[in-house]
Amino acid sequence: MKIISFANQKGGVGKTTSAITLAAGLALGGVRTLLVDLDPQGHVAFSFGLDKSPGLYRLICLNEPLHQTTINVRPNLDLLPSDKNTEKVKRQITISDFRETILADRLQSSSYDVILMDMAPSLDVLHVNGLMASHWVIIPTRLDALAVDGVREILLTMGEITKRGYRFQGYNILPTFFDRTTRETLTQIQSVVQTFGKRVWPPIPQDTRVREATAYGKTLWEFSPNSPAMAGYQDGTKQIGGYKQALQRLMEVIDG
Amino acid sequence: MADKNLERRQILDPSVADLLNGLEERQKEAHLPRREREKKARERAKIKARREQRTTYDLPPAIRQHIKQMGEEQHLPASQLVTLALFRFLQQIEAGQIDLSQYKQPSHSPRYDWNLVFPEDWYKKI
Repeated sequence: MKIISFANQKGGVGKTTSAITLAAGLALGGVRTLLVDLDPQGHVAFSFGLDKSPGLYRLICLNEPLHQTTINVRPNLDLLPSDKNTEKVKRQITISDFRETILADRLQSSSYDVILMDMAPSLDVLHVNGLMASHWVIIPTRLDALAVDGVREILLTMGEITKRGYRFQGYNILPTFFDRTTRETLTQIQSVVQTFGKRVWPPIPQDTRVREATAYGKTLWEFSPNSPAMAGYQDGTKQIGGYKQALQRLMEVIDG
Repeated sequence: MADKNLERRQILDPSVADLLNGLEERQKEAHLPRREREKKARERAKIKARREQRTTYDLPPAIRQHIKQMGEEQHLPASQLVTLALFRFLQQIEAGQIDLSQYKQPSHSPRYDWNLVFPEDWYKKI
């Protein structure tokens, strides 16, 4: 089993959309996937057309078994949802022993092939728990200075966790909201590529259909499978970027 | 002396490298005089329009040479001669005038079941 988190301390960079779309893609490919929402906003359930619910709270604070706290949202895809009760989880973790590995301990015995975690844009005890449970971290980022600074922040946090003896297998940067018509995009992607090299995945194009899909409670695979956000840009005979290509890269990570 | 078997390391995701090249090229173009920018845009549109018509097949070099020579003699594009040949071939297949089975040999490839093997003298006649 591989646990992969989607993290960036900057909000609004596409963490939730990326986690949902890639989780749904894995599930469609027959991979038994659990999607964990670590954000008290509970937007993952909302994006699947469901009400928010306190799955994470019941798992950590009420000690219910994992299978009782998850919801099956699509074939091969379960969701551990969040809502405002997730704030209480943070307080519970803070007063617990071995507090940094509570989430990892609870997820360890599950029978999923892959667990994807959508992290909140914060740096608190739940965030650290999520990172400590992760083998791999995907860092979605807009190509603007503030979001790229969020990448630096998350890498610093990962560095601190590594100092405590935890070893991540790796991480990737996923550029999102990519608009190839602006000069700022080119400047920022050149800078990101110069710093992170091969860790930078092909970008996800800016696409209004992403917002529409959320409003209808559908995944992009269901709502608009050939939209630019899914299929990427046409470059000659090739497609560059988009979630379908990101899914290929994710499968390479999962297959090791 | 450097080891010739060494391979240069790939330091970027290949798709990201392609994307960056395209973006950098477009930015360079943006600084060109208007007339040259328009010329580049026309060239790009022409390439894009022809994209659907382009394909790559492996052919015996003798056939390629023969078509090229015929095109030069007849003052015709080689692509149109090949198009004519393929139209005629498809019509004859449709009419049952060509039997592929007489050329079929089992293939060792995991991708194909058969190869078409042509008589040696066809190559000589070309």
